[in-house]
Amino acid sequence: MKDYMEIANSNIIFILAAVLILFVLVQSVCFLIMSWKRGIAIGISKEKMLNAVKSSAIFSIVPSIPIIISLIAIAPVLGIPFSWMRLSIVGSAPYELISADIGAKSMGVTKLGAKGYTSLVFGNSMWVMSIGIIWGLLFCIVGLKWYQNKMKNIEKKDSNWLAILINALFFGMLSVFIGPPIVEGGIALLVLLSSGAIMTILTFIAKKFKFDWINNFSLAVSMLCGMILAVVYTGI
Amino acid sequence: MNYNDKVHRIGRITGIIVLIMIAMIPTIVCLKYNIFPPFMNLVKGIGMVCMIYIPMCAAEFVTYTPMLGTSASYLAFVTGNVTNLKIPCALMCMENVGVKPQTEEGEVIAGISVAVSAIVTVIVVFIGMLAVVPLEPVLNSPVLKPAFDNILPALFGALGAYWIQKQWKLAIVPLTFVVLAFALFNIPSGAEGVMIPIMGIISVISARIMYNKRFIKEV
Repeated sequence: MKDYMEIANSNIIFILAAVLILFVLVQSVCFLIMSWKRGIAIGISKEKMLNAVKSSAIFSIVPSIPIIISLIAIAPVLGIPFSWMRLSIVGSAPYELISADIGAKSMGVTKLGAKGYTSLVFGNSMWVMSIGIIWGLLFCIVGLKWYQNKMKNIEKKDSNWLAILINALFFGMLSVFIGPPIVEGGIALLVLLSSGAIMTILTFIAKKFKFDWINNFSLAVSMLCGMILAVVYTGI
Repeated sequence: MNYNDKVHRIGRITGIIVLIMIAMIPTIVCLKYNIFPPFMNLVKGIGMVCMIYIPMCAAEFVTYTPMLGTSASYLAFVTGNVTNLKIPCALMCMENVGVKPQTEEGEVIAGISVAVSAIVTVIVVFIGMLAVVPLEPVLNSPVLKPAFDNILPALFGALGAYWIQKQWKLAIVPLTFVVLAFALFNIPSGAEGVMIPIMGIISVISARIMYNKRFIKEV
């Protein structure tokens, strides 16, 4: 049987991964065009939509970089093409590691890439990683229409409550990420407070001087400054 | 066909195609190289992952899709990184443009935002893969490690500061709960997936009580 790394880095996986990623890219472009056309139809100005494009593009660069770090970590054990595909679409770095590991353990191998990690085990990891994370998408395909109709019903009854409900869900999520640094303290807390302070200052400047363009950058800049300050605080 | 039905149809069709393609990769590779993991081991592995991720995905679906709207939800659940990328991106975008989730305008702006975010991520990861050799020493350098270790506090510090100042009444209860939970109990890192739906429920209940008591009227 072939060494599993030969299979993991084979052209066939590269081609399959590339086709899938290309499809997702085309799908994203189609959704972008569809939303843009709809925006024009309901009277949203091009300027507003262009601002949405700019701020989304600028913001998304920095949080995408850690994905490359995950790629560097995963590729030596699962090969470049499969890792590239997994990290480009549904899932996230922690998920890929956990599921690949479970794939290895269910074949009796202690961990990823350990002794006994044969092509058979690699095949198992591929299957486990692929099937384990499809559920969010599956729930959308099966239940999103029904669930969105429920939201519309709430809106019809009480649109104020729907807006509050959505914000409350968001605050539930926010608190899960803000709480731990507050409890742990240290650099994480300093970073949390610093990026919060920078965001507050930027928002104030934008509002005070009517520099609306700042809003397109404020989240990205605050986050980046927070990360740079993490390096500074660690050095002190 | 109205716009909403059209989005659902396209979302479902493309979603099913993606699911088939995801399953095709291991199928074709296993057939070509004649590697067939024993059925029981395969079922055991998939079962273990599903036990963790089916409830987690269900909670994500319930929590995130109302914020994202229809088209952004289909795309976010295809492209992943929902918590750390798509949600912050779409919500800040809607805020900057001055529209609300679950409105016609919000649907459009969230759709644009998540699509652009997905495209950027695919491009960044692609460049990262091509340039992995020169990038590796930079990204893995000990000097930059604290920056990447603290990306979530940096992101959520900025997001939190903005939204808490705007709607502090909604923030008090969930934030107090989380701080107390992490201070009193030994919650392992990586428990976010479980904590998010729990805190979502607590937050919604507290918001409802405040709304009924007219402490919060609108947002």
